[in-house]
Amino acid sequence: MAQLSDRPSAPAGTPDLELLRKFEPVVYYTKGEQVYPAAVEHYVEDSTLWEHHPEGHDELLVKHGQMTMEKLIEPRPAVFGTIRYLRFIEPLNLAEAAKVLADQATLHRKLGSNFRPGVGRLARGGFLPRLADGLFSLSFLLRGHLPAADMAAAELDYNAIREEHPEHVYYGRVIRQAGWTILQYWFFYYSNPWRSGFHGVNDHESDWEMVTLYMYEQDGQLVPEWAAYASHDFHGDDLRRRWDDATDLTIENGHPVVHAGAGSHSSYFRRGEYQAEVNLPLPGWLAGLLQSWNKFWTETLGQPAGNAFHVPFVDYARGDGLRIGPDGAQGWSPVLVDESTPWVSQYRGLWGLFARDPISGENAPAGPMYNRDGSPRGAWYDPLGFAGLDKVPPPPQALQMLNANCQKVMQRQTELEKLVPEKAAELQVLGIRAKGMEGNPHLAKQYATLEKEILTLSNEVRALRRESSENSALLQGLTRRLERMQAGVQDHPQAHIRNPAVPDDPSETLRFDRAAETWAAVSLSLLLFVIAGLIFFAPHYIWAGLAVILMLFVTAESILRGAFVRTVGRITLILAMLASLILFIHFWKWIIVAALLVMGVSLMVQRLRELTG
Amino acid sequence: MKGGPMPRRKKSDKKKSPIAVSVIAVAIVVLFLLRLYQVYEPLIRQNFFQHGINGPLFSGWGLTPLGSDLLSSTTYLALSLAGIFVLIGFLRLRRWSWVLLMAWTGVSLVIALVDYFYSHANYAVMASNVTIAFALNIPDVQRIFGIRRDSNGAAL
Repeated sequence: MAQLSDRPSAPAGTPDLELLRKFEPVVYYTKGEQVYPAAVEHYVEDSTLWEHHPEGHDELLVKHGQMTMEKLIEPRPAVFGTIRYLRFIEPLNLAEAAKVLADQATLHRKLGSNFRPGVGRLARGGFLPRLADGLFSLSFLLRGHLPAADMAAAELDYNAIREEHPEHVYYGRVIRQAGWTILQYWFFYYSNPWRSGFHGVNDHESDWEMVTLYMYEQDGQLVPEWAAYASHDFHGDDLRRRWDDATDLTIENGHPVVHAGAGSHSSYFRRGEYQAEVNLPLPGWLAGLLQSWNKFWTETLGQPAGNAFHVPFVDYARGDGLRIGPDGAQGWSPVLVDESTPWVSQYRGLWGLFARDPISGENAPAGPMYNRDGSPRGAWYDPLGFAGLDKVPPPPQALQMLNANCQKVMQRQTELEKLVPEKAAELQVLGIRAKGMEGNPHLAKQYATLEKEILTLSNEVRALRRESSENSALLQGLTRRLERMQAGVQDHPQAHIRNPAVPDDPSETLRFDRAAETWAAVSLSLLLFVIAGLIFFAPHYIWAGLAVILMLFVTAESILRGAFVRTVGRITLILAMLASLILFIHFWKWIIVAALLVMGVSLMVQRLRELTG
Repeated sequence: MKGGPMPRRKKSDKKKSPIAVSVIAVAIVVLFLLRLYQVYEPLIRQNFFQHGINGPLFSGWGLTPLGSDLLSSTTYLALSLAGIFVLIGFLRLRRWSWVLLMAWTGVSLVIALVDYFYSHANYAVMASNVTIAFALNIPDVQRIFGIRRDSNGAAL
């Protein structure tokens, strides 16, 4: 059991708002962050309300200056496929776009909040991921997306509103489920300028992020046990950390510390720069083909797994910017919400522009209670399952439950110890009886019936013995765990984590920093120039030339990244596979004949060896 | 059992070459011989040994047939000699020789594939290279050359 003395606690009857305040998180932002948690009302009042109809046109429902929280939740019947959304930034013309970008630069200078990316994200990934990144960037030509000027305008408008309403708001919710008391902190941001501001994956209007704390009750006190931070679209065990996990979770005066990603506002336990990978949406047949190839590559050829179709991005959670939280200059303004809060439960639309992005990255998110398609959000209705805690009892119950489980298994084991010998003896009796019947043709019918009975009983005895053996092993495990728990020994705080988010190691620099970064910046363009040259000067050798150039680029890259050995091995292996295919196409008959001969000779040798002893 | 208990087979941690190493060594020798033929064949075709260089090597920006043959002979000679150099290191189980051999096989395969698509294919060379590439990828071979150091098989 956890040592309670070193943990903050609150009496079980503490009012919800007080409870939320007692454990509210401290959030550290990255220098250069453009927007911070704010109240929804001012955003809504400064927006327009729209509806996107299934046939493709968009309809303005509430004009600018007329929006209110009441109008947001006004019931409006709509046909299936209709998407309701708010729009914070109205379309800008060229002059307006140029002006807001210039104003944004001025604002950054004034606030001293220019963002510096440091080692570029492109240099952190390999050449092929960079190629995928190029394709991803080109995909914005086809997908709906937000212009950078819209994000700049959102930042300017946010700052203007912030001057009048400087408070930093979180929307808190307290839920009691399966013995746990759950505190959810929802943060609303005016925009998510990750792509335009911090070289990330996407931009969208508005952003909802969430931090959850899980507490159990002991001796009339609520004690925090787990903290789970929402990070992109991840969920499950990897999201949560135990309160005593000093490696990952920092506690400041009883408040958990969150490091927010710049622009993405994704929450991290440790400060640092995180590699975020986005898989390109591939057609089903290509994804299947890729999966088969990966299986062959890793299992048959024993090569490390890799995915050339992921795009590397960096989520900067440096924590060197603004700090919001208790005991500091910038505190929180909490607002209690639940299902009865009208805007939470009655507005199912998007909280910003529906950008018509088919893969949704640029479409604004829905509110805390819903997904973009209006369906209920898992983190809202199943906060335990969200962090993989639905299978974990609160610590005080865990010991009881384990004890009860042990008793149950032991009881069954005692039953089995009696039952198995009884059934086994019964089976032997039937066996003896069957033996007695043999050689008596007039007993054939009874013998057949007895045989069936023997078979059934034999299966039953086997099943009981298996159950007994399995129970014995289970009991051993349960007893050992019970002893450990009774002695106060806890699991390792990170025992539940499979794929932890770990920041890049700052000491792990590239082999030739500057050269690698320069190469990363220019290599893709250089490749395109070389291909253009190839088409112009040597059109007959285009495919071979392309393959050779690509190999040379990948090899050059591997030298800079200190991965020459691995890369050369992979390239040669791929070439060998191509050559094998060619050889098989030309000599398949010979290859099959040779294989058959080898098999024949081998079989013959084995059989002859058996024959001659 | 006659003559007392059977003596236990001795086991040692001494570096031993897997069979694949011998297979690779044989393949390198075969490749050396094949490449050697590729060195001489164009020279014989051009009567190089009778008349030496008896014509221009360049025509404008391009190569003449003689120049082209001489270039390919020189390339193959370099590849053959590199093969022997690598073979020596390989038999002595040096890490650099694995890297060099893999690179050498890669280059050799590129040439073989370009030959296949654009001129005349040399299937024997291709097959030898394929054998070497796959044999070099065997985990035991990689371990003995220090390319793969872990026990769970992840490549370095």
